[in-house]
Amino acid sequence: MDAFVELSAELTGFSAEELRSTGLVETYRALADGAPEHEIIQLWYTGVWRGVIPDERAYAEGLAWKAVGVAPPGTGAPGFGSWERRPRRSTR
Amino acid sequence: MKAVVVGAGFAGSLIAKALGDNGFRVLVLEAGAEVNVDALGRFRTALVKSPLRPYRTTTAAPSSDYLLNTGPFDYASPYLRINGGTGTAWTGITPRMHPEDFHTADLGRGRNWPLSYADLEPHYRAAEWEIGIAADADEQRQHLPVADGYRYPMHALPRTYLDHAIASVVDGARIDGRELLVVGTPQARNGVPVPGYEPDGHLCAGFASCVPICPENAKYTPHRTQKRWPATVELRTRCVVDRVHADASGRVTKVTYQRYEDDTSGRHTRHEEQADVVVLAAHAIENAKLLLMSGLANSSDQVGRNLMDHPALLTWALMPQAVGPFRGPGSTTGIEVFRTGAGRRERAPFRIEIGNWGWGWSAGSPDSDTAELVAAGLRGTALREAVADRVNRQFALQFEIEQEADPANRVTLDHTRRDALGNPRPSLHYGLSDYVKDGLLAAKRVSDRLFELLGADDYTSYKPDEERYFEHAGEPLRYWGAGHGGGTHVMGTSPRDSVVDQWQRCWDHPNLYAVGCGSMPSLGTSNPSLTMAALALRTAEHLVGEIRRAGRVKMSKAP
Repeated sequence: MDAFVELSAELTGFSAEELRSTGLVETYRALADGAPEHEIIQLWYTGVWRGVIPDERAYAEGLAWKAVGVAPPGTGAPGFGSWERRPRRSTR
Repeated sequence: MKAVVVGAGFAGSLIAKALGDNGFRVLVLEAGAEVNVDALGRFRTALVKSPLRPYRTTTAAPSSDYLLNTGPFDYASPYLRINGGTGTAWTGITPRMHPEDFHTADLGRGRNWPLSYADLEPHYRAAEWEIGIAADADEQRQHLPVADGYRYPMHALPRTYLDHAIASVVDGARIDGRELLVVGTPQARNGVPVPGYEPDGHLCAGFASCVPICPENAKYTPHRTQKRWPATVELRTRCVVDRVHADASGRVTKVTYQRYEDDTSGRHTRHEEQADVVVLAAHAIENAKLLLMSGLANSSDQVGRNLMDHPALLTWALMPQAVGPFRGPGSTTGIEVFRTGAGRRERAPFRIEIGNWGWGWSAGSPDSDTAELVAAGLRGTALREAVADRVNRQFALQFEIEQEADPANRVTLDHTRRDALGNPRPSLHYGLSDYVKDGLLAAKRVSDRLFELLGADDYTSYKPDEERYFEHAGEPLRYWGAGHGGGTHVMGTSPRDSVVDQWQRCWDHPNLYAVGCGSMPSLGTSNPSLTMAALALRTAEHLVGEIRRAGRVKMSKAP
């Protein structure tokens, strides 16, 4: 049992597995364990912690982008012309 | 024949190549440093992903953040002093100007060009091949004359899903008596080449970060042209030219410059360079600054005046269905019918870009959406679904409003406030005329109609506590800077009222050229880099021809 991951999953709507796959659990635990809910959500969703993006991965793994179903700008190459296709619905 | 080019951006890199290819020895002096290798990482970790953020600038050569605003409105457009100039961060959208835009004075506002669209057309084609533009000639002919048989070097990029969704509704509909048509926008990013063209860099892979940085090297930047420079072109970065010197006859003899090694201080050494020809290509504001500091080219009293930009109006809304923003280039189509016609006598014309990056620029999405939905109490799956639904339906319109040349909008030097090198900082007195404000208001009304046609939920709001907010005719408005500064060494037919002639040569100095958007007497409604490039190639051709006519240099290449 990992209380921080469980709380994060409950707040974000992403499973513990999805959260672990970001590779950011330990970084975020160190920053946000015990923080108010909205700060924990903001960190997971946008990679922003109290006005700072701590590293590139935090931006690239932002859950807001995963919810939308696209890579954050400047992090992923979906391929030439991919933008013409019907968008994926949200990941759920 | 020795040419000194001041500035290694868009115009300077193109001219240096053309001169170097044609027998000149060329020294390019660039105020900024090389592009930092950590630019992409800086972009990713920047809280606000504004155009200059990825790039490290130096204390000695600050970018537009050292400008001083003294006018009723703030000049809102950034520029970058770095090798490659603002062309490093640009969007890469390359529409031509419309033939009407070359005689705006005849249409009631601003100034006329000393040349016509037809005069520039061959150079547009040359620039499109030099830069590498993806567009379809037949599609462009729907709103512009394009030479018969002409092909752009690359086929038009695929449209976005959003473009199709909008075109399927608005094409053929009418607003203010104008029939709407969504038209592909020429792009300086790699698509599929036509036979005979070999693009540099990679095919656009859709990183959705073109401005300020393309990780794929699919977007043209001046660095590409620099890689094609012959050995006769030498680049020196970290060299800030602070004076151009002329003899009693008006001929330019040399430039002096301040060279720095330390990026964090104003410590520098002084140098000079003799030249047969000097080409200023340092950006509209920097060119004006350097001419004013040198006390040259200003018998008309027009240096620094006529500062123009495209004040941009952003509007944003939700489509009824998911459109998948933040995939691919920022804008692949636009609506061009409001750029021309009798309406421009009454109010500034505008071009409409269909914006594919959600509310990223206008409202800071998706961070702002997340914050709003969390504040509304959403958690867990409900939050996840709400963010997905909200962002997936987002789109924006960007209206680029023409701003007419107005001598009161001007760059001067503030001798009391100096930069780290001891040079006076540029002071901008900038305003928006009623003509521009009426254009912004008309754009807002067109936006309202478009959103209505699309069945889109309009989320646009302009609030008094926001930057660049104002009211006009009782309505709230706001403008953004499109990054399209121009007009500050305006081109004309007479030395009495213009700074450069149709070749971008200073009337007062036979061997001094000031090139770039600063020469433009009107910006029309087009993103100006392509026109700047066409003008640069035209000037280079003229310079090479001048020298040949004078028989003073042996040419390294047949014409």
